[in-house]
Amino acid sequence: MYAWIWRRLPGGIAAKTLSAIVLVAGLVVFLFLVVFPWLGPKLPFSHPTVHGRTAGAASMSTRLGPAVRSAPTMPEWIAPNSA
Amino acid sequence: MSTEGSRERFRVDRSGRRPAWRIACRTLGELLVTAGLVLLLFVAYELWWTGLTTRHDQHKLVAALRQEWARGVTVKDPPVGSALAILRIPRLGRTFMFAVVQGTSTADLIEGPGHYPGTAMPGQLGNFAIAGHRTTYLHPFYDINELQVGDPIVIQTRTTWFTYRVQNIPGTTARHEEIVSPDDVAVAYPVPDQPDPGKPPTLRVLTLTSCNPRYSAAQRIVVHALLVGRQPTSEGPPPALAGERLRGL
Repeated sequence: MYAWIWRRLPGGIAAKTLSAIVLVAGLVVFLFLVVFPWLGPKLPFSHPTVHGRTAGAASMSTRLGPAVRSAPTMPEWIAPNSA
Repeated sequence: MSTEGSRERFRVDRSGRRPAWRIACRTLGELLVTAGLVLLLFVAYELWWTGLTTRHDQHKLVAALRQEWARGVTVKDPPVGSALAILRIPRLGRTFMFAVVQGTSTADLIEGPGHYPGTAMPGQLGNFAIAGHRTTYLHPFYDINELQVGDPIVIQTRTTWFTYRVQNIPGTTARHEEIVSPDDVAVAYPVPDQPDPGKPPTLRVLTLTSCNPRYSAAQRIVVHALLVGRQPTSEGPPPALAGERLRGL
């Protein structure tokens, strides 16, 4: 795979090396700015909130907001039946 | 030599091309090595890069909060994602300081510790409940398990310093530190662990929640504290912060 890509990079050794570095750097940037931020919250490493059994960790964010806006004194997630 | 001959035999077939199974094996190997490197990158992202982005967000939040305070207006119902107070916990570091944001969604907690909407505001009767990351996003509550009975937790708002102290909550089953299941929302009730959340609170409680154990979200670690003092910001930092290096004041 990498040999195949290497053969298709244009120019001599120097040009190939340069474009390979640019390709790898572009891939890392794509991972850090797009893929990982999307992936991170979906994995079970880092969910610091308590929430009702009916609400999944991921859906908590969407559930909590509207519930609080409509009932500021007793949000849905804090109701006894969700415990 | 026979070994040389066999190597030659595998390298090319009669048409002068490598056999397909060799190309397949090598590609598979390259993909696996690549996957390993991507996983290492992901670990670096989670443990290091998320801290950089949160640090950046915190600088912006603290600056915005100071501007708001300078204007002399207290926002009664802070919008989700904006800062509402400054949190200091000397036990977690002499320079430990975070802007607490309103909201506990994924996006809110990326910016810093988040206030559970609908729970009490700082100093109010009830439960001022805050969630914060343990290992990622600048891991504000990484050492939350180090908190001991009597440790101060100081909340600064525009007008007031509120000093809470870590302790069991009297009249309830809430211990100063609890390990609970992720669905145990009772820790954030106006009266912690009180089965009837409609019962009016008589105490001013602060609750911190985070993941437990570290690098896992299997449980939640919870720390409770009670309000023990308040003083106007004009009087300077409270005794609990005496001798601390107050960053960003």
